Amino acid sequence: MIANSPIPVDVPLTSPEPGPVIEVRDLVKTFGQRTVLKGISFKVLRGETMVIMGGSGCGKSTVLRHLIGSMKPDAGSIRIFGEEITGMEQREMDRIRCRFGVLFQSGALLQSLTVGENVALPIQEHSRVDDKIVELIIKMKLELVGLTGFEDLKPAEISGGMKKRVALARALALDPELLFSDEPTSGLDPVMTAVVDKLTQDLTQKLGMTAVVVTHDMTSAFRIGTRMIMLGTGPRQGQIIAEGTPQEIMHHPDPMLQQFIKGEADGPIPLRLSKGDYLKRLIGEARQ
Amino acid sequence: MKDYLHLNGQILYWLLIGPWKKQPFKVGHILNQLVRMGVEALPMVALTAFSIGLTLAMQGAHELQRMGAALYVPNLVSVSLLRELGPLLIAIIVIGRSGSAITAELGTMKVSEEIEALDVMAINPIRFLIVPRFVAMLIMLPVLTVFGNYIGMVGGWTICHFALDMSTAAYVMRAIEAAKLGDLYSGLTKSVVFAWLVVTIASYAGLKVEGGAEGVGMATTHSVVYSILAILVANAMLTALFFFL
Repeated sequence: MIANSPIPVDVPLTSPEPGPVIEVRDLVKTFGQRTVLKGISFKVLRGETMVIMGGSGCGKSTVLRHLIGSMKPDAGSIRIFGEEITGMEQREMDRIRCRFGVLFQSGALLQSLTVGENVALPIQEHSRVDDKIVELIIKMKLELVGLTGFEDLKPAEISGGMKKRVALARALALDPELLFSDEPTSGLDPVMTAVVDKLTQDLTQKLGMTAVVVTHDMTSAFRIGTRMIMLGTGPRQGQIIAEGTPQEIMHHPDPMLQQFIKGEADGPIPLRLSKGDYLKRLIGEARQ
Repeated sequence: MKDYLHLNGQILYWLLIGPWKKQPFKVGHILNQLVRMGVEALPMVALTAFSIGLTLAMQGAHELQRMGAALYVPNLVSVSLLRELGPLLIAIIVIGRSGSAITAELGTMKVSEEIEALDVMAINPIRFLIVPRFVAMLIMLPVLTVFGNYIGMVGGWTICHFALDMSTAAYVMRAIEAAKLGDLYSGLTKSVVFAWLVVTIASYAGLKVEGGAEGVGMATTHSVVYSILAILVANAMLTALFFFL
């Protein structure tokens, strides 16, 4: 995508595959007795920024972990760049992984390496570029996230928000075609949130990158999302309760979705039992 | 057990086959681990080995003097150190120092998603994290054992020279006379087997960590306990093997 981008060793230089970049069909995942995903299906087209929203424990991160190949579904199909990844061998999966970047919620930087070494890691592992060019790419990527001059610091020496930005620089190190972000703006101040959002928009709109973003931050979601899905909680756990453009989602009639967008404490999302129910249960337990 | 054997297989794959498939491990990482496991452990190993040599000579002298055989103290010290105590006690020091560190480090990386991040970046964690530690341990434990044997002999000499009035030449001659080359080799064979057990058990425990800080703490305890048990059992088996061969 960028003229001097490193070439991943095993990635063929072919034109993008036709069809959706991601296609999920009837994805099911159960942990013990609890079914977290009940046959969800969606597609992500090239150049889109798909935002996955939902309350805590609704399965957003589980969906993301399936998309990046860290989890295997109990049933269903996941196609990335047109290839089925659910039954893929490790080596084949690694070939796909060289084409996408992942920004973890915690950043997941290697604590034993410096900021610069963290950003350099995927480049050194998957390309044969000269050390001087690697240095140049590190500077370029860190400049992109506003962290010029922080190359020699260890992750323990920088703030949580800065770690997040370094992790974003690392995710973008190989100029991926697809970026997965888990809560990219949590822990960032409003200005830096806007910077990261602008960066995501630029990458998708100007360079044609596709992004899948899991977030709770509604301002950020409506700013960057070109399409959104909302996962349900409670009795609708594991189902997509709404899908559409930001405008469609904004005016969607579903009360659970509206409560989530508006951030209201009371509504159809059963956040907690009412005080009366809780006291009744406590007294019942005490009598037993 | 199946997972542990699978880890051993993967380590061997990335050590022996990976480099031929253009996926080599980093030599720089091995050097870093050699320094951490070996060079930085020298003072502790020296102190331990010196104390063992000193104690062996004192206990030996106490009994042998009663039979008028104090001359045999160097023999006792050299054979005990080379065959048994050197490899075993230095392995225990390395378990406490490096084995626990490997488990805690890998466990912390697991809970903070660092290992998952490596996986997702198509960087195999076994190749990137475990193989350098494996190679460093297999080199450094035998080296530390040889170093510890020498320092232990110095400990024995201290008692023989200053308490038993034995000359340095006599001590060295008797020690060399008693110890066969086979004793050194059997001790070194043991230390290589111990190194393998320590690093694989520690790595396995680290990679299997679940939960947060509590999980890391429990894994580190398990790693140390199982490593010590494993080397004691392996020591008995190897001693029996050398005894009957």
